[in-house]
Amino acid sequence: MNKNNHIKSYCHINEGIVSLNGKAVYENISPDFASFIKSAYHHFETDYSKFFKMDNLSKLAFMAAEVLLQEKSSPEQERNMAIVLSNRASSLDTDRKYQESIADENNFYPSPAVFVYTLPNICIGEISIRHKLHSENSFFIFDAFNADYIKEYSDSLLDTEKADEVLCGWVDFDEGRYEAFLYIVSHQGSHLHTKEEITRLYLT
Amino acid sequence: MNKGVAITGMGIISAIGNNVAENYASLISGKKGISKIFQIETVHKDEIMVGEISDTNPVLEKRLDVSENQWSRTVLIGCLAAEEALKNAVITKINDVRTGLISGTTVGGMDKSEQYFYDYFEHPEVRQHITGLHAGDSTKKIAKHLGLEESFVTTISTACSSAANAIMLGARMIKSGQLDRVIVGGTDCLSKFTINGFKTLLILSDTYSAPFDDNRKGLNLGEAAAFLVLESDEMVKKENKKVLAYVKGYGNANDAYHQTASSEHGDGAVLAMEKALKVAGMQSSDIDYVNAHGTATPNNDLSEGRALIRLFDEKVPEFSSTKAFTGHTLAAAGGVEAVYSVLALQNNIMFPNLNYKTQMKEFDLTPITQVTKKPLRNVLSNSFGFGGNCSTLIFSKEA
Repeated sequence: MNKNNHIKSYCHINEGIVSLNGKAVYENISPDFASFIKSAYHHFETDYSKFFKMDNLSKLAFMAAEVLLQEKSSPEQERNMAIVLSNRASSLDTDRKYQESIADENNFYPSPAVFVYTLPNICIGEISIRHKLHSENSFFIFDAFNADYIKEYSDSLLDTEKADEVLCGWVDFDEGRYEAFLYIVSHQGSHLHTKEEITRLYLT
Repeated sequence: MNKGVAITGMGIISAIGNNVAENYASLISGKKGISKIFQIETVHKDEIMVGEISDTNPVLEKRLDVSENQWSRTVLIGCLAAEEALKNAVITKINDVRTGLISGTTVGGMDKSEQYFYDYFEHPEVRQHITGLHAGDSTKKIAKHLGLEESFVTTISTACSSAANAIMLGARMIKSGQLDRVIVGGTDCLSKFTINGFKTLLILSDTYSAPFDDNRKGLNLGEAAAFLVLESDEMVKKENKKVLAYVKGYGNANDAYHQTASSEHGDGAVLAMEKALKVAGMQSSDIDYVNAHGTATPNNDLSEGRALIRLFDEKVPEFSSTKAFTGHTLAAAGGVEAVYSVLALQNNIMFPNLNYKTQMKEFDLTPITQVTKKPLRNVLSNSFGFGGNCSTLIFSKEA
């Protein structure tokens, strides 16, 4: 049990609000996720055209990571940041879309561009590609946010020196509802990395 | 905790043979297993070449003495290869020590699920192929067939690096003392799902694949299963086991470049190879032969070739891809090529990169094209999966 790990910063995205370390940094009460996340993309002046090809889950995870990883690391000094994400609905949102596109025996189009997102961990890939993270990563499916499991997993990555920092949390998209809670675990930070503190920040 | 990881048995079934001996005979006689597809009815049958295992499912079922049409072909070939590996390691009581099974697969039971796709509603007698679809189901069935009880059994599905990652996980569990013995490798049969998927990506060749050739047109899909038995030093000592070779190094890295393509300069591949060398405590100059991933797609061979040049600092040792023999067997490829790497070490022989004619424009690399003798100490084997999942294994004669 390593007591030295800390939470450096955290980000929530849900119900039209993006917040960083508990403070709202962007609000847009759009009725649907697509217009909300697009307006957030423009608000944070994200310049990354691949964003528009992503599925909803990846857009959600990507934007939360953007908000957390604003300060760019210098290219020669690559950061060893692992990524450990989790959710409840896996990639069901895209799975359904893909299923619809092939359901009609006489009129179907299995688009590779949609198909590629029929796995939840693709959103980790999108973050890795954006931030050049050649690091350890894993995606877990739980019934609800499992602070304990993610804590143990990220402590282990840090304690065995597999990573210097871990970007972890929860990113869920299902039937229009969305919720992201991402945080960075590091050796330094203002919050203790305990199950209680993670749960408290998650519910903030 | 830095224990040796001994390979004490291996088994394989592929388009070039039903066991280790037949595979070796094909490798040294240059006999490839690529042909037109004959066991799957597909609209693409005239446009593709594949590495198909010659035995039909009924023949495989008979060899295993299992009932008709209950299992996916992935399970059938997986059982045969795992049985051979156990027999080769002279293991009769599988549950007498902590024995695990780690299998890589991408297709799982897809071959059967798709075959009966429109029948489930009206034909309850084929519904076993719905639950058989899950990748983990194939591993559980193999475990049960082998008689494993209360063991560590898990499945790895990381595309074309699956079996390599299974071998890596098994080696780590032996090293850390969590298991005494573990069966590791992978199994994938041909299916419409993979044929159509790779066809959509426009990376299937309509002729014999030619890895590292300037005029390469893409890959031939293949099917295979291959497993190794790994055992701890204590087991080898206690049972006075014959050791075929050792797993010395392993590394896995994220290419962080594209969902399906490899990075232009092979960043993930270089990282994986560097990690494997570090684990093995070796320099790149210690590697005598590289069994390359070499899928014969324009993207892979360019990326991997550049990675080899970067790692070996222009002094790239003899290398070849054996995929022109077997086809690209996806999740099983890392297992198949682990068996070939051990065969190379045992016989001091490097296998030819078939169908190679013209050097690639981008660099000055030529694979070996003939069966070549050379005293081999350490062989490096690469397996790179979609999503940038890059893995490297190092096999050695000495512990």
